[in-house]
Amino acid sequence: MIETITEILKPDFLLHNALCASVLMGVVCPLVGAYFVLRRLVFWGVALPQIAASGISFAFLLQGLGFTLLAGSEAQERHLAIIASALFTFAAIAMLLFMERKGKGAAEGRIGVFYALAWATSILFVSTNATGETEMTSLLRGEIIAISPHDFHIMLMFFALAGLAALVFQKEFLLVSFDRDMAVTLGRKVLAWEVLLYLLIGTAISLGVMTAGPLVTFGLLVVPPMAALPWAGGIMSLSLVAAALGGLSAFVGFYFSYAKDMPLGPVIICAACAALIISAGARKAYMLLARIKA
Amino acid sequence: MDTKILASCKNASFGYDKKAVLSGVNLEIEAGSFVGILGHNGSGKTTFLRTFLGLIPAVRGKFAFGTADGRPPRFGYVPQKERLDPIYPLSVYNVAKMGTCRKFGIFERLRGINRRPLVERCLEDCGVLHLAHRPYSDLSGGQKQRVLIARALAAEPDLLALDEPLAGIDITTQKSILELLKSLKKRRHLTIMLVSHRVQAEKDLFSHILWCDEGAAVMGKSDDMLSFGRAGEVFREEL
Repeated sequence: MIETITEILKPDFLLHNALCASVLMGVVCPLVGAYFVLRRLVFWGVALPQIAASGISFAFLLQGLGFTLLAGSEAQERHLAIIASALFTFAAIAMLLFMERKGKGAAEGRIGVFYALAWATSILFVSTNATGETEMTSLLRGEIIAISPHDFHIMLMFFALAGLAALVFQKEFLLVSFDRDMAVTLGRKVLAWEVLLYLLIGTAISLGVMTAGPLVTFGLLVVPPMAALPWAGGIMSLSLVAAALGGLSAFVGFYFSYAKDMPLGPVIICAACAALIISAGARKAYMLLARIKA
Repeated sequence: MDTKILASCKNASFGYDKKAVLSGVNLEIEAGSFVGILGHNGSGKTTFLRTFLGLIPAVRGKFAFGTADGRPPRFGYVPQKERLDPIYPLSVYNVAKMGTCRKFGIFERLRGINRRPLVERCLEDCGVLHLAHRPYSDLSGGQKQRVLIARALAAEPDLLALDEPLAGIDITTQKSILELLKSLKKRRHLTIMLVSHRVQAEKDLFSHILWCDEGAAVMGKSDDMLSFGRAGEVFREEL
């Protein structure tokens, strides 16, 4: 075990970028995902990554139809996919927010419709493009292994920005999430802060899906913050504990995936869920001990 | 002696989605007054308060503010405590500190201005400083209400606006919260607006009453309102 860990930690390790990308996702996704959990928008966390995947699938459709404005080389193809993924995600966020403000119908129903449509179009858009179909299958399975150095650097830049913004502006994000009305009476620009928060969420999701697929992105958005919640004494501790658990889950998942030759994405999610179960159990034990002591 | 008018409106209508709940409202709020916004459930009390605070637009007309620059005064808002989701892992101190968020400018953030003394003073004034490290979600209804008042005070307001602060709280705690408001008003020279559907408990506290009923709102001095038409009838019924 120690040998394997030493091997995967070496800078010249063949899958070094995949390891770093997994851990980076594990750290940054929970920072924005915490707001999904706190704002009770977990269903958004299910639907939006799938919508981002639908955007990627749409990029393959465009390529299949001969629209090669940005595409040509493999790197340009990926740029087109990232742009389509981000556009689909931001458009879906805007539509869901608009419908929420209008307040017509059940919110869960609307998100369910978006999710079903996104799944269907993810498959349909690539049904006539064999290469796209293969790529999408691997994306839906959460194959991070194939990440190129170029993609990793793009991801590193945007994730670092998103993570930094989530930490720097957490007081504002907390205020507009916890008590929007109070924020208005304090003269804060609530709409601007909410737009910034959703931009961070959209960026994390579209890049996360492009790198690791919708399953891993959803799992890392939601599971580590849920595991951290019972231990958190404030938004900063929630963010830091969730990011640490997410990063640790990604590392442990990578280790088992490499050592036991299993698909990386699902193993990461299983590791995160194991962390959640351990956290819940430990919390119960801690509370029981505290009661006995008292 | 001239009384300073903090806010006023003429022939204004308040409601949601362009549908008026209260119409033809004329009123003046004096600085330093204690206004009770009273009426039965669904009479438009909260709609009025939310419009006054700028949370929703007026259907017709607008408030004029008697401040030097014509801008709204500093509000300290105490929402209905049930509106705040207990899922947030916040200590009492964290919640009270939110009141200082008006001042989170980027330069102040970089200079690292210490807001702890202000927050602690507000918690102390409300008698909940000893709970500062407890999780907010673990508190009783009365304790939560005191913390929310402390949070509103941390905004250093000119006007304290409370939405149903006594709902879901036992009578002893209600009395203690009303005493707290009385003493805060005196010590901090605050104007206070308090929404309540319970007329009897607080009627002696108010200097003015805004009575909302059947799509209309009438405001006057507390003593006058006790003998005014429909309001008088309802007061007498309850008394």
